[in-house]
Amino acid sequence: MVPKISVKNLNMTYDDYVIMRNISFDVRQGEIFLIIGQSGCGKSTLLKYLLGLKRVSHKKIFYDGKDINSVVNVPGFYGEKIGVLYQGGALWSSMTLAENVALPLETYTSLNGKEIEEIVTLKLSLVGLKGFENFYPSQISGGMQKRAGLARAIALDPEILFFDEPSAGLDSVSAKRLDDLILELKESLGITVVIVTHDLASIFAIGTRAIYLDVESKTITAMGTPHELLMSSNDKNVIAFLSRGTKIAQG
Amino acid sequence: MTGIVELKLENESIAIISISGTWSIYAKHPHAEEFIETILSKPSIRKVDLKFVDLKSWDSALINFLIHILDSCESKSLTVNIDNIPTGIRKLIELSRTSPVRNTPPAIQKKSTIFEFIGRVGLLVFFSLRTFLGFVGRLLIGIIFFIGGKVKIRSREFAIVLQEVGVKALPIVFLISFLVGLIIAFVSVLQLSQFGANIYVANLVGISMMREMGCIMTGIIMSGRTGAAFAATIGTMMVNDEVDALQTAGFSIINFLALPRVLALTLMMPLLCIFSSFIGILGGLCAAISTTDLTIVRYCAQTANAVCINDFFVGIIKSCFFGFFIAAIGCQKGLQCKRSAEDVGLTTTTAVVTSITVIIIMDAIFAVIFSLLEI
Repeated sequence: MVPKISVKNLNMTYDDYVIMRNISFDVRQGEIFLIIGQSGCGKSTLLKYLLGLKRVSHKKIFYDGKDINSVVNVPGFYGEKIGVLYQGGALWSSMTLAENVALPLETYTSLNGKEIEEIVTLKLSLVGLKGFENFYPSQISGGMQKRAGLARAIALDPEILFFDEPSAGLDSVSAKRLDDLILELKESLGITVVIVTHDLASIFAIGTRAIYLDVESKTITAMGTPHELLMSSNDKNVIAFLSRGTKIAQG
Repeated sequence: MTGIVELKLENESIAIISISGTWSIYAKHPHAEEFIETILSKPSIRKVDLKFVDLKSWDSALINFLIHILDSCESKSLTVNIDNIPTGIRKLIELSRTSPVRNTPPAIQKKSTIFEFIGRVGLLVFFSLRTFLGFVGRLLIGIIFFIGGKVKIRSREFAIVLQEVGVKALPIVFLISFLVGLIIAFVSVLQLSQFGANIYVANLVGISMMREMGCIMTGIIMSGRTGAAFAATIGTMMVNDEVDALQTAGFSIINFLALPRVLALTLMMPLLCIFSSFIGILGGLCAAISTTDLTIVRYCAQTANAVCINDFFVGIIKSCFFGFFIAAIGCQKGLQCKRSAEDVGLTTTTAVVTSITVIIIMDAIFAVIFSLLEI
């Protein structure tokens, strides 16, 4: 089966520095794939490459077997193929929550105003924000902004959903609620999820498979389920990174 | 009592550093350099013994002192006895020294020669110009598609931008233009009254406001007000990932963010320029009738005679271009903003400075063109 996303020998750079070398992995249909590693290892930069926000040479990143460069400018790639939830929600601050969710629907679908309104209400209900349609992002909390961002990310029912540090800045209860929401959405919508995180509780709670980006060796040093990484990895950095997570998970 | 350090030589090869007192970063305390210098000046010393006698309290000042001593002695292969260092201090020193060092090379700032500097500035100007022209090109394509109906802009957002750049700018444009007209008239009266030619104040004020000052003053006001606002808004959106979110929602950044702003300012600038010109003439009128024997009717009649339709259109044409470039520069600088609050400030400043410079350069180019065309 063709992987949903395939990365082959990708070298990542930031300004003029090479931050990661020979990055290769596959993301399978329907899994929750985690990109983990210490702060500053290049997780968010890898996400930018995957999203097509950073230029990449040919035959490095593939979506359903097609080179990203050939699909990224095709209408429907953003929105229908992929949806993204950014670290802070990244809601468009001049618009209400309803307008944030409605904008992709107004632009890319032929739905009428009433249908759009209904879908907006549905999406906001899914993330527990029914009744907040006319609020502006500045009027709601950080956790709510993230959930509203998630509602916007799933507005067009994308096949793949990307999350950049979903639990960053959230208290443990809100982070757990967001994790549960991701699991529910993945199971009910059947979408593939890619999450960039260093939150250990989330890694063990929702991750199907993970790759560990090692800041010292500048490449992937471990790949597998989170428990496989912890139990069978020989890399001291991976073990050190994950061992606190098991205590959290057990505790 | 502040931190006290005593340096003694036990014998030819062992130095004892006794540390006591209260060490605080808020009070004066001994510096390591003088003791290091003394120790290193005696080549016979092979070992340094640290002793702590009556140490009342300590903070980072003492840690920093000890790290200096340890680093300097170890770099010269001197043995340092750290057994007597209190546990808390030792742990902090170990923590700071075992901290992993990132092997990413730091950005090296080489001292450059004058030729390298000129070359670097030249390249910077070249690449900035190339990027800006590329941006302008994409904007023009967006405008063509908009006229052709292939690109739509959100009418509500567009109306808000129109209001922001147009109606809300009227008070400041009024104030500045009125004062500029007033100043031109006052200066002119001083000179022309010597020749009994006060009536020509109306000519000077009218023509200068219509051809030059109206559009230039409006352009400068708009650069500082609207261009800066565009750069700051878009820059903040960059910091908050809102621009990335737009891109990954499939929207063209140019068409969504820049096009409405550029169209709004290009449409509003000529109107503001006309407003500015007339208010400037009003300012001149006030100054002239209050300082000379000119009447309102004579002043207005003289202005109408002096100012021709060409002067009016010269101002309008220039203001259209100024509006386009002020908005384009503001948007482009905003989109170049990096990911920190500091960059937003820097971006805004750069946008204002660049816009004003471009306005003045363009005005000079227009002056040459209109002079060649005898307009």
